[in-house]
Amino acid sequence: MNPARRFSRLGGFLVAALVVGAVATGCSSSGGTAEVAITDAWARPSSAMASAGAAYMTIQNNGTATDALVGASSPAATTVEVHETVVMGSPAPGASGDGGMMGMQPVERLEIPAGGSVQLKPGSYHIMLIGLKEDLKAGDTIEITLTFEKAGELALSVPVKEG
Amino acid sequence: MRSRSRQPGPGPGWLTLALAATVLLAACSGTAGSAPTAPARAPAATTPALGERVTAYDPARPAPALRLTDQDGRPFDLASLRGRPVLVYFGYTHCPDICPTTLADIRGALRLVDEPVGVVFVTVDPARDDAPAMKQYVDYYQSGFIGLTGSDAEIAATAEDWGVSYRKLESTPAAGYAMAHSTDTYLVDAEGTLRHHLFFGASPELIAEKIRVVAG
Repeated sequence: MNPARRFSRLGGFLVAALVVGAVATGCSSSGGTAEVAITDAWARPSSAMASAGAAYMTIQNNGTATDALVGASSPAATTVEVHETVVMGSPAPGASGDGGMMGMQPVERLEIPAGGSVQLKPGSYHIMLIGLKEDLKAGDTIEITLTFEKAGELALSVPVKEG
Repeated sequence: MRSRSRQPGPGPGWLTLALAATVLLAACSGTAGSAPTAPARAPAATTPALGERVTAYDPARPAPALRLTDQDGRPFDLASLRGRPVLVYFGYTHCPDICPTTLADIRGALRLVDEPVGVVFVTVDPARDDAPAMKQYVDYYQSGFIGLTGSDAEIAATAEDWGVSYRKLESTPAAGYAMAHSTDTYLVDAEGTLRHHLFFGASPELIAEKIRVVAG
């Protein structure tokens, strides 16, 4: 094979590697443009008998584009979802008393603006740990993996403590 | 097929691949068109000042009746707790955020006061929260909380007497259903008089302060 053609083939592989590298680094949390940081993560103690536990944290988007939390998982629970506690105004028809109820709704996609942050805290957004496989005891640590649209997967060690 | 270029180095194929790499990098950096975005959610409001989380009943009035079934399956009457202040809260055991937060705040308050205080947790979800479920739930707090349940009709009548609203909310398949409910804590004094109305987010310190007010 003539040297030029061999060089071309090698170059072809190099460019292919560049393409794969671009996808991996540009789209991952270690890349320069998609970057998410988690601070102050904690989970509330809960009995495994309780149907669900909750975890809270601050998500900081240090990237240059909007990112979004789109999924989560943990070995400590069967299903992990993001929910939001919101004020829900009117009582059901026929009920009396104050309105001002609070309830939760699922959040499929929690957006974090570039350079901004979102706080998950009691009475607001929270990570819901459904189907706890074990007690969450104060002093324990649980693993939660968050999936971001741009930054990809982020594994956290979350301390269990009284809020 | 013979390459059109007779020189070593990048040919047209290379150029295409290099362009593709550049476009991909740009797309990953978010400057190219991305997936449709939902409107940004505003962060929740910060906790209001201490004084905004409680109101006093003025004039104070007798607490409504509270006669339901406790976590041991026995009939309970709030009047049996005369002689000590009582905190009454309506919620449900499948609640992951609001109810555990409030009960933790209440437990924190109890640690700050010397006097015995009754704590009564009434379910608005009797379909799931039967007496055994309530027992597991209140026993977990290890603070002598009383859990109350009853029939749908009994819970509805009790909630109405106390001014509590609630309704079922569809949730995800994993979560099942959730309950929207009033999230206030009612402070009854040792004589059975309704004295204070504490809102969600009332700190342990604020709750303890009001307990001292009614106990003093």
